[in-house]
Amino acid sequence: MKILVITEQRQGKWNKTSFETLVAAQQIAEATSGTISAVVVGKGVSAFADELATKNVSEVLMVEHDLLENYTPDGYCTALKQIFESTKPDLVLFPHTYQVRDFAPKLAATLGKGMVGDCIGFRKEGDKLVFVRQMFQGKTAADVTFIGAAPWFASFQSGAFRADSLAAHLGGKAPVNTARVELKPEDIRTKPLELFKEAKSAVDLTQAPLIVAIGRGIKAPENIAQAEAVAKALGGEIAASRPICDEGWLPMERQIGSSGQTVAPKLYLALGISGAIQHVVGMKGSRTIVAVNKDQNAPIFEIADYGIVADIFEIMPALTDELQKAKG
Amino acid sequence: MAIQREQLEADVLIVGAGPAGLSCALHLANLIQIHKASGARPDLSAENIYVLEKGRELGAHQLSGAIMNPKALAELVPDFEKSAPLDTAVTDSAALLFTQKSSYRFPITPPPFNNAGNFVISLNKLVKWMGGLVEAAGVNVFKEFGGAELIYEGNGIGGVVTEDKGVDKNGKPKDNYTPGYELRAKVTVLAEGTRGSLTKRLVAQKKLDNLNPQTYGIGIKELWDVQPGKIKPGFVAHTLGWPLSTKMYGGGWIYGLSNNRVSIGLVISLEYADPRFDPHAAFQTWKAHPFVRNLLEGGKLVRYGAKSLPYGGWYAMPRNYVDGGLIVGDSGGFLDSQRLKGVHLAIKSGMLAAEAIFEALKVGDTSEKTLKLYKEKIDHSYIKEEMWKVRNFHQSFHNGLVDGFVLSGIQQITGGRGLIDPMHARPGYEAYHHIHGRPARERFQGDGKLTFDRLTDVYHSGTRHEEDQPCHLKVLDLDICATRCVEEYGNPCQYFCPAAVYEMAKQGSGLRLKINAANCVHCKTCDIADPYQIIDWTVPEGGGGPNYEGM
Repeated sequence: MKILVITEQRQGKWNKTSFETLVAAQQIAEATSGTISAVVVGKGVSAFADELATKNVSEVLMVEHDLLENYTPDGYCTALKQIFESTKPDLVLFPHTYQVRDFAPKLAATLGKGMVGDCIGFRKEGDKLVFVRQMFQGKTAADVTFIGAAPWFASFQSGAFRADSLAAHLGGKAPVNTARVELKPEDIRTKPLELFKEAKSAVDLTQAPLIVAIGRGIKAPENIAQAEAVAKALGGEIAASRPICDEGWLPMERQIGSSGQTVAPKLYLALGISGAIQHVVGMKGSRTIVAVNKDQNAPIFEIADYGIVADIFEIMPALTDELQKAKG
Repeated sequence: MAIQREQLEADVLIVGAGPAGLSCALHLANLIQIHKASGARPDLSAENIYVLEKGRELGAHQLSGAIMNPKALAELVPDFEKSAPLDTAVTDSAALLFTQKSSYRFPITPPPFNNAGNFVISLNKLVKWMGGLVEAAGVNVFKEFGGAELIYEGNGIGGVVTEDKGVDKNGKPKDNYTPGYELRAKVTVLAEGTRGSLTKRLVAQKKLDNLNPQTYGIGIKELWDVQPGKIKPGFVAHTLGWPLSTKMYGGGWIYGLSNNRVSIGLVISLEYADPRFDPHAAFQTWKAHPFVRNLLEGGKLVRYGAKSLPYGGWYAMPRNYVDGGLIVGDSGGFLDSQRLKGVHLAIKSGMLAAEAIFEALKVGDTSEKTLKLYKEKIDHSYIKEEMWKVRNFHQSFHNGLVDGFVLSGIQQITGGRGLIDPMHARPGYEAYHHIHGRPARERFQGDGKLTFDRLTDVYHSGTRHEEDQPCHLKVLDLDICATRCVEEYGNPCQYFCPAAVYEMAKQGSGLRLKINAANCVHCKTCDIADPYQIIDWTVPEGGGGPNYEGM
């Protein structure tokens, strides 16, 4: 069995699941007396190819092209299709990464093949390879086999095999071969932009010492600016009770309460918040709670250290003024 | 683009792990075990029985009073008394008539309220225990998976599709997107509980309705820890009268559990004239009655919940067998509408379904021709015996309690026939009268100690949903809410929902419906009681919903 392993690197760094997938390939190769070609794709990746060559593989295939410098689904699919045509593999293995999830199903589909994704293991039964993948959020495992002609496509879940059991090359080094691919700029329909890392949360309210929180009493999104002015004058963060975030007036990460963040700042200024228990459980640990509400029976006053029964629209600008004055 | 779903095949797929679904699974697994031990053909295995449960844990969505007649459980698990969490045997059953200030005990407890021989239980605990037996028998139970769509096949069903996971509120896949599984089975058992969302579709699609439409009640419940000595374990009381008018059908319950724990609640028929009637507020008002107040004083609210229940009786049960499909438990209307008891009938229905399925698997024919056996077994069991006697009971109360007592009294002495048989029923939502510009009543606030507003109660239901998911309460026409309904009925959804899900928010000079779907406790009242029938309750992402620990 001829096995191709498509490794993944990006910006000078390996995706470690690549090595785990190589381990899987080594075990499959052993079970089927197969050979492994480790494929590295990109531009200027010879250092990666050399590193792969120290592992127990039959060869390393270096697929280099200017248009492969940055990952694009079209670039990878076009290049790898040509590799499959020239090498005629039986089995193509991928690490189950986000990038693989992006292009591998498309690649398999353009070749009219199925793909078994996110496998956690394999078994050899007679002359059949059985892949194991989890279902029902890991509650049960399904055995999957390929029908139809090779090549077959499969990806392995991160952590399914241990990278430290990767066998080194017996003779020292496997040959590194360069595979030529034809790519034209018009083959690639997407244009990669700057890479960015999505911030987990733009604001960490749990670390904020001063919080100005608004509730239904704010009435309309255009009034939020007034509360933000208070927060700014105070040097605090703006937060909200659930209805405000539900409406999309503030992002969800600024929601305080049982379905949002739990905070315990030095000062919690609650503006127009009635104090439903769902909100209170998220802020009752605050050192000092100041509440402003029109309704003197609002439950927020039960836990407030200082309460003002008033219209927040009178209090907010006055408070902003005074805070600014105090700061000079 | 069509989603490619993973397919799995089972012999039997049971949607819902309540008393009916789990009894079906357990009884079938037991039958298969005997079958295997005898070496008979064909090969059957309990591993090919799948159970889906939308809750985080087994029992998480179970709510009942509950008083259980143990006879069905005794058939299912003969030595049940050794290990079942039965809490306490009923020692005294009282019927109380409430007026605003006083209560009167009926000198002789009327037979429907007599519970000698029954047990006060926590349905949550019972179901958890049953789930353990089912899993030990080798059945695959999948928690946090709901049945989202039916797969139609032949003149019936061939399985279900589970709900998609990891979809954001705009319907876009998130990082953890997992399309629902396509689960195919020789027999699919709908055991979704009251007003099942798939059952509703199947009944409509295949026209399975009986003579009468199903009618429902809503039960609102709180669990309290009270001061020692306030109530004896095993004391059960049912109350009639205040605060409900004689035009309304319903009443309260007070059940003494062990360790100074009390189950209290109010059941109200979802067929009342005033669209601004608020069942949750009625329950809170009932709690302020001196009798209940005295019981709860110094105590602490432990948990809250609500659920609808199918009241319609024998003539409202849908046809419960189709090609490849059966309907059991509350989904099939298995409830004694006089005593409002359904747990034993749910268990029995699950068992009879299991027996019919077992025969069908053995002969290799799961069409309705073979599955009809289920219906035949029901007709020869105590399910029919019990339900037949009260087949016209609920209908007699259509015009209020006075007519109801007369008519049901006559039924009592004629074996259920009464003056008219069958008595017809109308869907409950047709009972609403127009508001004709009457202003809304002020919302119930509660004192925070004995009585509570809805949000505080909802907090005590432990309900939780993934926030970033599509709204699972589909309103088919929001314009109706903002126009016709404001005028005609004053938006009853704001009042009948016991979890403050529906809210009319100001928008410009008018109103718009705002749905706080994350508050939902899965009682299904909105799907039932909406006057225009435009609210469709669908399953949210699995794992969402209340946590009815101990309920």
